[in-house]
Amino acid sequence: MTAKKIKIKVYRDLMGANDLWASKTRALLKARGIAMLNLISSPGSGKTTLLEQTAALLATRLRFAVLEGDVATTHDAERLARLGVRVSQLLTSGACHLEAKLVHRALLDLPLDALDLVIVENVGNLVCPAEFDIGENAKVAVLSVTEGEDKPLKYPLLFREAKVVVLTKIDLLPHLPFSLPKCLEYIRKVNAALPVIQVSAITRNGMTPWVDWLAAQHRSRIG
Amino acid sequence: MHEVSICENLVTTVLKELAQGGKGAWRLKKTRLVVGLLHQIVPESLTFAYEVLTKDTPAKGSVLEIRLVPIVARCRVCGWKGEIHDSLFVCGACSGGDLETIAGKELFVESLEVEEHDG
Repeated sequence: MTAKKIKIKVYRDLMGANDLWASKTRALLKARGIAMLNLISSPGSGKTTLLEQTAALLATRLRFAVLEGDVATTHDAERLARLGVRVSQLLTSGACHLEAKLVHRALLDLPLDALDLVIVENVGNLVCPAEFDIGENAKVAVLSVTEGEDKPLKYPLLFREAKVVVLTKIDLLPHLPFSLPKCLEYIRKVNAALPVIQVSAITRNGMTPWVDWLAAQHRSRIG
Repeated sequence: MHEVSICENLVTTVLKELAQGGKGAWRLKKTRLVVGLLHQIVPESLTFAYEVLTKDTPAKGSVLEIRLVPIVARCRVCGWKGEIHDSLFVCGACSGGDLETIAGKELFVESLEVEEHDG
């Protein structure tokens, strides 16, 4: 018996299967004029609170639904459902990010003909969700001022991929050592063109530019 | 976590390729993977995940070789091209920030080294 060594050229992208589902989602949403946004942040950055306040302001402007990604529990989905938001919970059972196939299936359960916008709240994590295309129009990096201002330098992929940064909890700035100019400088160094919207979901400061940005995403989708 | 999910896709891809050789005809010796530095993968974690996930498969005992690709960007304003360090996407010539990433996002299986048995 002889053994012959062979080199097999493969050149296969590891995201291939995921990207296929993402492109199916993109086609599905495009045909219906729906915009989809993918909110990515650390745990505790205030995504759900931001969405609670967003719901109140957006309700008169756009018909929207939230896909709530969590490792475990339905607490966040319940918070939004109490406000009358149409919300579906996606439990990843341990996985640290949402993948395109799961999102696609969840979308098919939504009344798509009655929607203008889908906001996906990804699992709280700055690394993995940035890797996975879920068929969104834009990734939104949510960063809170209670985190280190150098997060953009530590997690460059997210800040390269995102189309906007929402800087949350700015009402806390007077009480924190967080340097706003430094944070903005770090964001610029990673991605000079990235717009930053500063908000406080508690005082509602900055909520209007954020909601306007959301509405613009839908307009560019149907335009 | 990150490395495990990536490795799951890797092992699925590798097993699919191996199956093309016919049942048990190819014995995998080495998998060559190319990873851009933007993915922030810890090679040791990926290697460990590979060992665990291939354990009860035809790819068992094979070695994972990871080639890391530096992040390279090009300035859309002045045409400068260079490596990016410490996440600073700033042009090395004109100090502008309008840079396009041209390398560093790779994540693919380049090749497999197999032994084919006959006779």
